[in-house]
Amino acid sequence: MVSPGESDETPDSMVRVVARRLPGPSLMVAAALIAKGYAEVGDGFAAGVIVALAIALVYVALGGEAAEAALPLLRHAPKLAVGGLLLALASGFFPLALGEPPVSHRPAPGEHVVKIGVLELFTPLLFDIGVFLLVVGVLTILLHHLARPRGEARR
Amino acid sequence: MTGNRAAAPEGAVRTTVDWQGWTACVAAVAGFVLCLLGWLAGGGGFSVPWAPSLDLRLSFTFDGLSALYGLLATGVGALVFAYGTRYLTEHLEHQRRPMLERWRFWPWMLLFALSMVGLATAQDLVLVFVFFDLTAVCSYFLIGFDRSDREARTSALMAMLVTVVAAVAMLIAAVVLYAVHGTFSIPELLARADSSATTTLAGALLAVAALAKSAQVPLHFWLPKAMAAPTPVSAYLHSAAMVAAGVLVIGRVHPLLARSEAVLTGMLVVGAVSVVVGGVLALRRDRLKQVLAYSTISQYGYIVMMYGIGGKEGTGAAAFYVLAHGVAKSALFMTAGAVTSATGQDRLSELGGLGRRMPVLAVASGVAAATLAALPLTVGFFKDELFFKAALAHGPVTAVLSVLAAVLTFAYIGRFWTTLFLGPPRGEVGTRSGLLVAPVVVMAAVAVAGGVVAEPFTRLAEDAAAVSAGGPVDLSPAYHLDARPENLMALAAWALGVLVLLLPRVTGRVSRAVAVAGERWGPKRAYEVVLHGLDRLSTVLHDREVRDLRTSIAAVLVPAGLLIGLAFAATPTAGAYVVGTVAGADWMILPLLVLVVVTTVVIARSRSRMAVALALAVVGFALAAQYALLGAPDVALVAVVVETMLTLVFVAALSRMPHDEPVPDPAIPLRKRRRKDALSGAVAGLAVFVSVWGFLSQPAPSSVSDEHIRLTPEAHGGDVVTVIVADFRGLDTLVEITVLLAAVAGAATLIRRGKLW
Repeated sequence: MVSPGESDETPDSMVRVVARRLPGPSLMVAAALIAKGYAEVGDGFAAGVIVALAIALVYVALGGEAAEAALPLLRHAPKLAVGGLLLALASGFFPLALGEPPVSHRPAPGEHVVKIGVLELFTPLLFDIGVFLLVVGVLTILLHHLARPRGEARR
Repeated sequence: MTGNRAAAPEGAVRTTVDWQGWTACVAAVAGFVLCLLGWLAGGGGFSVPWAPSLDLRLSFTFDGLSALYGLLATGVGALVFAYGTRYLTEHLEHQRRPMLERWRFWPWMLLFALSMVGLATAQDLVLVFVFFDLTAVCSYFLIGFDRSDREARTSALMAMLVTVVAAVAMLIAAVVLYAVHGTFSIPELLARADSSATTTLAGALLAVAALAKSAQVPLHFWLPKAMAAPTPVSAYLHSAAMVAAGVLVIGRVHPLLARSEAVLTGMLVVGAVSVVVGGVLALRRDRLKQVLAYSTISQYGYIVMMYGIGGKEGTGAAAFYVLAHGVAKSALFMTAGAVTSATGQDRLSELGGLGRRMPVLAVASGVAAATLAALPLTVGFFKDELFFKAALAHGPVTAVLSVLAAVLTFAYIGRFWTTLFLGPPRGEVGTRSGLLVAPVVVMAAVAVAGGVVAEPFTRLAEDAAAVSAGGPVDLSPAYHLDARPENLMALAAWALGVLVLLLPRVTGRVSRAVAVAGERWGPKRAYEVVLHGLDRLSTVLHDREVRDLRTSIAAVLVPAGLLIGLAFAATPTAGAYVVGTVAGADWMILPLLVLVVVTTVVIARSRSRMAVALALAVVGFALAAQYALLGAPDVALVAVVVETMLTLVFVAALSRMPHDEPVPDPAIPLRKRRRKDALSGAVAGLAVFVSVWGFLSQPAPSSVSDEHIRLTPEAHGGDVVTVIVADFRGLDTLVEITVLLAAVAGAATLIRRGKLW
């Protein structure tokens, strides 16, 4: 179960089907966590780990190669991680260019903020999205490396 | 010298115009003109906030002292830079290095000059410290310019370590003064400081930093080593930068130092010892630059002595001396460089009789040597006249010492010049460059001009001394054709100096004995012992730490545990370590804690890796449940998802480990190792237990978290944890997520040689 490439016992078809379908809904949960994050429980980090857990299930159920064949988008994980980090850094440090301390908000505290339901559109949202992307990317990279059989690493 | 052949194919070594050097030279000339205009206009200054929360200001004032050191740094700088354009080209050609390496030289030289001017004008103690260390950094790169030469590298490191470590004393003094007077501003400090133990302490600390910089005994040993630098660097470092920075700081804070008689006496003693040690050692050195280096120690000893004498006469004479010495010493260093460049020799024993073959250089450097030896018709005569006058006023012992100093100076500089330029010809003279001689001639002309009309020098020194003495100073150096004591002292010094010159065997024996004693018991030896000791300690620690995984972990846990234990031993314990009551939700937490304890025991006893991984997961989930019970759903959510991920990754990583049992190190018996592991675990665990208990018994009364909760709605948030992570502590979070990417890059390196995918 742990290193699927080497194992002969594959999980039953039920697990495999669910695993393959789960990343989609997990994104939905993540979106909810980010959107509600400022008012209720949740933030970009938890959202990222939840999506990564869904991806981890795919790896466990299908094995490394099959998982990456089933979800070809996974190979963009490094870009996701770096992009997320840059987004988070940019949203944190852009106030320096305006002569304000880092991690200041736009719109500033007390000013009017556009709201869509509970979702408030202001710069910390970008920060949360950046963290989310980074966490998903980093954990997917880690899963990718650990899912490879040991022999392949030496080649 | 080691040539770097590979880096410089034949075609690359092409003599091109050193426009970087000329740019630096033009900049120095411009700086000189600016300083001159600033001085004539009467100065001025500005002060803008730098770091207001720390009370730091960028405050600069161009006063008399700034004028003196500014003119010295830019004036000597301009000539040395012009000299350097030629010297550096030859130097690089000689070592077959590409001309591109000029970029590793000139920017540092220019920064050197700039930081000297900055230091001369800075009025804030922290700002002074910054410029002070900036000169040390510049000198490090310049002394170590020949980086393929081991000697140059160790010399550069030594110069930097000695001066920078000593400079920490200045920072401490700044903090001490700030604690008492609430300001870093030097003029305000000078006005507020009174004669107290604090002032004495701060003064002594400032003096230590300055004396190390000015290469005074016992922290003098870095200076002779620093001659590994290219000659223009030496010329500049010894006359107008680096070494001068020390006495500049003394001049700047002199009113503060003068509040304490002990500090003044200390400086007098250190200065006198430096005069004698430097002078005696200079008497018998063989290498040209080493003679001059020891001479610098001795000459700055004069200046420190005069600042130790203090008062209007002492500070005035010191300021004048700095000026005259800068002119003479830069010319002498450039002479040494020109001679070495023309003959290829750098030892007095290999050279001689150059006077007929290099007449211009001989005359010019003769004037410079005469300036140092204080002969009439040079500006040097006045420097000794003022020196003798100040010493006489101070007392008979000082007066005798001052004559002894002048004798030594006369003797070693006389030997230097006569050996080089008189006597039977020795050494081949090859190509000569006018550009290596011209700056020496200019300096000689300045020295003679100052010897005829001392007025500009005097005014500059008076203005500078007015800052150091805290009031107007009147110097009136002049030639008096009568039997006043100063003249008699000068005559005695010359006569004795000639005598010392004529008795080379006696002086040689004394000088050699001092040199041997210094090698064996001197401070340089202490420096080396300390450095080697640190090196060895580091190696021992490193070997212990990296023996195996257990020692690596113990190397973190045990010191952390001991440090925490020490902190607790030093903290009052009244009211701490209270055993609270159990109520409400606590009854649900207790079973969870029992579960944690049980799994911890399982982890410690288990021999199966999988069991350890799963038991660790149980600990994690139990803690997550506690967060939920304590009303922290946010933390609980993150803890649960992270714990799941962590367990999965942990198990996956374990499956990649080799399946066979690790072979224990046969050198250490199993039982002993077990006991050691238990001990390190116990130390770390107890420290954490005690600290958490102590903290929870006494929660901070007005915690920062109340403020966080109050401000959360203003940051458009309802959830305090999210707002803290993304806003109040946002900068921390930014750093932490950066670490995340670095960590996965590290994992990728370990597993797949750094490929991210």
